[in-house]
Amino acid sequence: MLKTEELQINIGPQHPSTHGVFRMLVTVDGETLVDLKPVFGYLHRNHEQLGEVNTYLQNMPFTDRLDYFNSMVNNHAYARTIETLAGVEVPERAQYIRVIMDELSRILNHATAMGFMLGDMGAWQTALLWGMREREKILDMFEYVSGARMMCNYCRFGGVVRDIDDWFITELKKLMQGLPHYFDDFEGLLLNSEILLARARNIGVLPKELALAYSVTGPVLRGSGVAYDIRKAEPYAVYDRFKFKVPVGTVGDVYDRFLVRIAEMRESYKILEQALEQLPDATGGFINPKVKQQSLKAPAGEAYARVESPKGELGFYVVSDGSGSAYRYKVRAPSFINLSALADMCKGYTIADVVVILGSIDIVMGEVDR
Amino acid sequence: MTLSHLATEDVFVVERNDADFRAGQGMTKGLGIVFRKFRKALFGKPNSDRADTEGQFNVQYPEERLAMPEAYRNMPILLYDDATGHELCTSCFQCERICPPQVIHITQAKDPATGKPVPAAAKFVLEYDTCMSCGYCAEVCPFDAIKMDHDFELSTANHPELDVDYNRLLRPVSYYETIAPTMWSDVKEQAMKKLQNNIKRRPGDIGRDHGQKIKGGAPVAAAATPAAGAAPAAAAKPRGPVAAIGKNMPEDKTAKLLAIRAANAAKRGGGAADAAPVAQAAPVVEAVADAPAAVSAAPTGPVAAIGQNMSEDKRAKLEAIRAAKRAERGE
Ligand code: SF4
Ligand code: SF4
Repeated sequence: MLKTEELQINIGPQHPSTHGVFRMLVTVDGETLVDLKPVFGYLHRNHEQLGEVNTYLQNMPFTDRLDYFNSMVNNHAYARTIETLAGVEVPERAQYIRVIMDELSRILNHATAMGFMLGDMGAWQTALLWGMREREKILDMFEYVSGARMMCNYCRFGGVVRDIDDWFITELKKLMQGLPHYFDDFEGLLLNSEILLARARNIGVLPKELALAYSVTGPVLRGSGVAYDIRKAEPYAVYDRFKFKVPVGTVGDVYDRFLVRIAEMRESYKILEQALEQLPDATGGFINPKVKQQSLKAPAGEAYARVESPKGELGFYVVSDGSGSAYRYKVRAPSFINLSALADMCKGYTIADVVVILGSIDIVMGEVDR
Repeated sequence: MTLSHLATEDVFVVERNDADFRAGQGMTKGLGIVFRKFRKALFGKPNSDRADTEGQFNVQYPEERLAMPEAYRNMPILLYDDATGHELCTSCFQCERICPPQVIHITQAKDPATGKPVPAAAKFVLEYDTCMSCGYCAEVCPFDAIKMDHDFELSTANHPELDVDYNRLLRPVSYYETIAPTMWSDVKEQAMKKLQNNIKRRPGDIGRDHGQKIKGGAPVAAAATPAAGAAPAAAAKPRGPVAAIGKNMPEDKTAKLLAIRAANAAKRGGGAADAAPVAQAAPVVEAVADAPAAVSAAPTGPVAAIGQNMSEDKRAKLEAIRAAKRAERGE
């Protein structure tokens, strides 16, 4: 038998397939991957330390910059943490608005994440641009309500900064007319494509037990067959009022994660429909007027609040010493923890599969490195 | 192992396609969808309907622009009253305090006679390069003096230019009214009332001595540097999402774009298309090689005769090497 030597190579940090400045030190035997060491920290910008210097309100726009695809969800999670800490009531209408923004974020995140993954497979760029088109329509609406497309800075303690008006509702209804067509087109284009099947089926398998051992969350965990969704397991905001289902996979490969995300977009659509229906009956305004935003002080203590971000469990942990800013501030970033399972998902597959597996985890380096 | 925390009716298993490969059937179906979309995009009209998923969705920036929503926030600006030229800011330091990256720097104005503080800012510096456009300053300002502008074309090659002071921050209230009419009408009354109160407490020209122009054009008070960028947008912006060329575009921007176009056209029209690059390259050759012979009609063939395209000293060197070689061979 011919003996080949193992070779160590570097993928990234500047590489289009690493979805940001992320470096993978891979050991290969021929084409087959033997070991993978993820190296991150290239985008570190001291987020948690800043959170301890800033006042509670000042830190809100910094959370936009974590997972910059889903700033609405980040805002929601952070606001929820501080609201738990300071005991702030959130009116019902504000909860509905937050849910609408979260579900819109989920759709735009999955649409682009799947597009990027297909780009990694070589389906350059049709699938991505269809996702981008839908995303752009949603971002226009975010811009209308919050003032910015991506750095929304929309939530405030006890609500949101601006109410949604008739224009927003009308446009949202229009958008929702188009969404099912987009889902159908996207599925029709790809679901049975032989290239996708060849590149995704039984690639990057993450068994149930391993996924749990790594604390993986979100579509990656559900793709591995664990039915766990914070919106169901610990309903926050008004999620207990909606009928929707949690899609799970069976094998835990790239294909399952892909299917779970498409199914989740359809479920988000259902939630949006119900939220729009129930919104007019919601009581309260878009914000709790009693909260002193700028000088908010939280009693000494600690709080952890989490939401189901499109990427997994996003949680903020804040310790207060009774002053106007956090004593300790910690982010539980889903991309970061999902990424830790990368090495085990990749071992034994070829090097070309690595970029696809990475794409199927759906990471954002802004959140991984903080 | 039951790992599910959820009721079974809340969960469903996604349907996998575990069929064996059929030669390209799935791909052909997908391509069919792509072609259908492609045809619609190619022959379709520009489409901005959110309900639609077919057609052209591109906006040809910079000729076409999307109308900005009123709430859009880019960089902060400071407002002054059109009629009197008085700035709305009273230097209360609220915005300086809230600004998360701490990029606002204010110096309070003082009465020169008594040395007592006056409700106006003597200096107002904002670091545009570090501002994160969060909009908090506009949110907290009790006097509605600082607002978020819609102009996003601020790129510059000169970085220090991004520390902007009063001269570049000031805009008349009428300008803000054009970009955010309803947001301004909500606060107009109380903002103007507060301003009238503050004007009473400002001796002399304090509060309007930064070169701002009032209606009629002339600066109110002599300022060290002339006001710039205070021109209000010509017309109210249309609300439609996609606009035709020139719409949603300030006049000076249109003029600039047209000038660039004209310059490009002149460049292309100056001679035959393929002659242009040669003419452009010539001065560079001249500067580097310092050989007048090289400038005229560079040969296009890959190998040139000795001496052509070559500087004097190089040619001399080459000749010397050749001579040495000939001597070696005993010629
Ligand atoms: S801009 Fe507004 S908040 Fe800032 S100092 Fe002036 S008046 Fe106060
Ligand atoms: S927009 Fe935010 S970062 Fe910029 S000056 Fe205002 S408060 Fe500071």
